Amino acid sequence: MARVLVIEDDVDTAAEIADCLTASGFEAEQCFDGEAGLQRASGEAFDAITLDRMLPGLDGLDLVRALREQGSEIPVLMVSALSDVDDRVTGLRAGGDDYLVKPFAPAELVARLEVLLRRRRTPAKPEFMLQVADLKLDLVTREAMREGRCIELLPMEFKLLEFMMRNAGQTLSRRMIFEQVWEYYFDPGTNLIDVHVGKLRRKIDFPGTRPLFRTERGVGYVLDAA
Amino acid sequence: MRLSELWRTTTFRLTLVYGLVFAVGVVALLGMVYLQSVVYLTRRVDGILYTEAAALAASPPAQLRDRIDTDLLLNGPNTNVFALFSANGGWIAGNLRNQPPGLAVDGKPIEIPPTATFPTHARLIARRLPSGEELVVGRDINQLREMRAIVANALVWSGVFILIAGLAIGTALSIGPIRRLRVLQATGRDIAAGNLTRRMPISQRNDELDLFAGTVNSMMSEIERLMAEVKGSTDTIAHDLRTPLTRARSQLHRLQQAEHPDRDEIARVTAEIDEVLERFRALMRISELEARGRHAGFAPTDVAQVLTQAVELYQPLAEDGSVTLALAADHSVVIDADAKLLFEAASNLIDNAIKFAGPGGVVQVRLEDDRGSPCIVVEDNGPGIPPEERVTVLQRFYRGERDRLTAGSGLGLTIVSAIVRLHSFTLTLSDADPGLRAVISCGP
Repeated sequence: MARVLVIEDDVDTAAEIADCLTASGFEAEQCFDGEAGLQRASGEAFDAITLDRMLPGLDGLDLVRALREQGSEIPVLMVSALSDVDDRVTGLRAGGDDYLVKPFAPAELVARLEVLLRRRRTPAKPEFMLQVADLKLDLVTREAMREGRCIELLPMEFKLLEFMMRNAGQTLSRRMIFEQVWEYYFDPGTNLIDVHVGKLRRKIDFPGTRPLFRTERGVGYVLDAA
Repeated sequence: MRLSELWRTTTFRLTLVYGLVFAVGVVALLGMVYLQSVVYLTRRVDGILYTEAAALAASPPAQLRDRIDTDLLLNGPNTNVFALFSANGGWIAGNLRNQPPGLAVDGKPIEIPPTATFPTHARLIARRLPSGEELVVGRDINQLREMRAIVANALVWSGVFILIAGLAIGTALSIGPIRRLRVLQATGRDIAAGNLTRRMPISQRNDELDLFAGTVNSMMSEIERLMAEVKGSTDTIAHDLRTPLTRARSQLHRLQQAEHPDRDEIARVTAEIDEVLERFRALMRISELEARGRHAGFAPTDVAQVLTQAVELYQPLAEDGSVTLALAADHSVVIDADAKLLFEAASNLIDNAIKFAGPGGVVQVRLEDDRGSPCIVVEDNGPGIPPEERVTVLQRFYRGERDRLTAGSGLGLTIVSAIVRLHSFTLTLSDADPGLRAVISCGP
């Protein structure tokens, strides 16, 4: 069970995040100010941290900087009410691994944490082929293969599929997909991501195959590993 | 009116300073006159004394007594002092019985008060004669003293008059501004108490108080406008958020009552609340855009490339909704802009256009040139926006009727508007007949 340290000065929000994490199978510990947060984060073994950006005492940015200076590589998900691109960049530059803007849906937080934890478990090494169940993606020719059939992909479709396959089994929110694949940080409006995923889904889950794409209602999508 | 209040006014202080400077000037002038005239008269008196003493001393010693007596007889005993004393100080002749103390022989002239034998103030000199006797010559100096007194009086009184007049004029001049300030103060207090429609009174004088009052008034107009906008936006937010929240609440209540909660129902409530969150996020985005410093992330940006990417992003959505999305931007046009924000603006316009074009509709995205400034044109052939709503739809928090029918934050056009303002570009909405034509003019 992954242990997550929730550093958040608002007691209610902290409790809510912790509940939500517990419900998703994490072990959550809460901490309400920066100094104590840094102490616990550097003194105890945690698998990930959710960190509010604005904290009394030690600010979230300073906290993550201090943590990185100590050589810690623990995944940090920054949570902030500041959503401007500049704020995001400062947050990530300071050493955060991902940046989530308040208000957020709890499922989104869990999804992002899972992706961070997974990224940590699979260290980056040169790869030429990704495989999920019977779906293969050639990273060199940028083609997908399934049941002996070769599926041609448009550039964005390839990026989307690569992202989903690297995070197979994880729930990926629409926003995460938009941020990670298209690298834009605004609200893309209506069902834009649904349409893109739907198009890719029709190409991959063609008739006669076991469906790999699954819709998580109200949250996003999962590429089923099993 | 309190004295301290009077003292604090600029007019009063200035008048007082001017009065003081003037008084010092007058005193200096009169002082000069005093010195010049008194010194002149004194010298003249001294000159006469020396001449008379010399003339008497030159007469033969034997006739000296008779000459003194004759001179006194001729000039009268009250105008001149002539006296002769023996070497040991005894009186010999003249209208001075005793040698005045302090009178040095062959020294400087001195002044003495009236004596028994000489009724007025006198100025005296003493001479030692070759015979050893002492000759004292003097003169009535009442005129000189009166002259001194007159000038001194003039000095004192003119100083006093100037000071009093200065105070009076200063007070009189300050009363007007103080009264006006009081009115301004009262108005200010009234405004601070919440009466934002009040304005500072302005006279026709066009002086510094009027300039100041004018500045305050224009500031007040802006504040009043902003307050009205904030009030309007609060009402809109309250209305916009209350509706979905109320719905979600009643749905939750129903779920609570149900024995076996329906998963679909829960998903619907979640979607409802997600929509509220989405709107919040959009509102925050708008305030961020409005608060952002100008030209923060500006760099040379190819508009054609931005439009191509935006159309690529929305093409599947258009296809999915059976909308034809066409792009006409064949040559690159580079402008100074924040590429990400420009993309966001274009995306919002395209997203809106696709939504309102509806199945079978056409959305055209074009890069045009309007007298040298590039224009981003997004045109749909949907129902369009009625002319009377075209301005309000760009205002913050405004949600037109057409927005209420669709999903999303409904703040897309407001976000576009904020981005356009940040760039000092202009956004115009017009009739595409049928449909809406949105134009971002990237000119200065």
